[in-house]
Amino acid sequence: MSTPASERSLAAELRRADPALSRFNPLDRILVHDEFNTGTHGWIELLGNYDGHGNLDTVDDHMRDFRPPQLSSCNFFDVGTHGAMSGTYALKVATRPVAGHTGVAIRRLTMAGRGRVQFEAYLTFKTEAASEENQAAHKAGAGEWDANLHPSEQQFGAFTIATDICDGVRYHCVARYLNTDLDNRMRREWVYPTVPEPTPREHFEGKLKLPPTADFTAPDPDDWKPFGGPQELCYNEVPTKVNWHYVRWVIDTSTRSNVELQVNDTVYDMRDVPVPPYEEEYGSLGNLLNFYVSVRTHTDVRNFLYLDSVLISVDW
Amino acid sequence: MRESFTAVLERNRTLAGGFATEPYEVAWAAEARWFVRTLERTGTGALMRVTTQVSPDGLHWCDLDAERELTGDLVTWESSGFGGWLRLKGAVEGEAGGEASAKVMIYLALKS
Repeated sequence: MSTPASERSLAAELRRADPALSRFNPLDRILVHDEFNTGTHGWIELLGNYDGHGNLDTVDDHMRDFRPPQLSSCNFFDVGTHGAMSGTYALKVATRPVAGHTGVAIRRLTMAGRGRVQFEAYLTFKTEAASEENQAAHKAGAGEWDANLHPSEQQFGAFTIATDICDGVRYHCVARYLNTDLDNRMRREWVYPTVPEPTPREHFEGKLKLPPTADFTAPDPDDWKPFGGPQELCYNEVPTKVNWHYVRWVIDTSTRSNVELQVNDTVYDMRDVPVPPYEEEYGSLGNLLNFYVSVRTHTDVRNFLYLDSVLISVDW
Repeated sequence: MRESFTAVLERNRTLAGGFATEPYEVAWAAEARWFVRTLERTGTGALMRVTTQVSPDGLHWCDLDAERELTGDLVTWESSGFGGWLRLKGAVEGEAGGEASAKVMIYLALKS
């Protein structure tokens, strides 16, 4: 994939000379470069919509507790501060220790054009280590230790990288790493939803009401389909060793489609992975371009998604 | 410029009996201030008591200071010397240990 130096532009050379940027492979224009060693950079908890009186009781049950992101030093009981890939701090999104609970951090942008949009990140995922208080070693998914694969790996559910986009038509491009199914069996594959995400307006109009632990992206497990084949990521044998993974995901807002997903050394062609649009029109969302990351636990053990840094670039 | 972040640890959540907020990482922060907004109380003589706790790892917890009673609708206090993790542990009970509940917003305001 690397381009010979003689064919690279001056801009590409300058980016390559910057250690913070050279780990990324951006499109022409960088919209966002977030290193969480210097703050949260606009990544914030997602919250559902509410009424004109600010009454938060009117927020949908499944969209009211996505948890605030944390600036984490990746601090663990056995080794102390692990630190991030660059510097000390990463952005951590954490679930509650409740099966089905989801943590979500969102980044809200708008579009100044149409075309390719690329999300790049260095990230990792973990379960919470076992303790007497959390009883993780006795929760669903726990198993025998064989001095290599750690039973806690079966207690990590899924992490998701996704968008919320509106150009008149509203749609979500979504890529989820499904580590385990709802019965805590290893799946280790990438999946996408075949239906659009339920919205508060559908609840308001009486079309559906979801419980607090519903999968807010697509509640029915049958509405998720695999693409690209299984991929084993680096969990590294225990829940307290952090290894950063490179993720590069390209979508095209001129065609409302997925393009490709790269995860470490594997590139998935996503051009045939469908993106279901909403049939209804939504107002107040002109040129919406949101990115979110989420983490979902399939057992009563906290699950964590850590981001070292994020870069979002475009070709417009 | 100093860094700051306000985490809403509980949002319109009804607490009854014993509770603990989710572990929150604060190693980057030099200052921490709690705000507890009580939106509603039910039960006779509902009383909310909390203790600020610290942890070396987010798993094992001990008290940072003394238990406090939260009687006002908006109560605040500062925590210092907290290391890497903070949470609140507490209970909402009625008179003579009777049943009671409190609907709360719990904020943790942090600054580097």
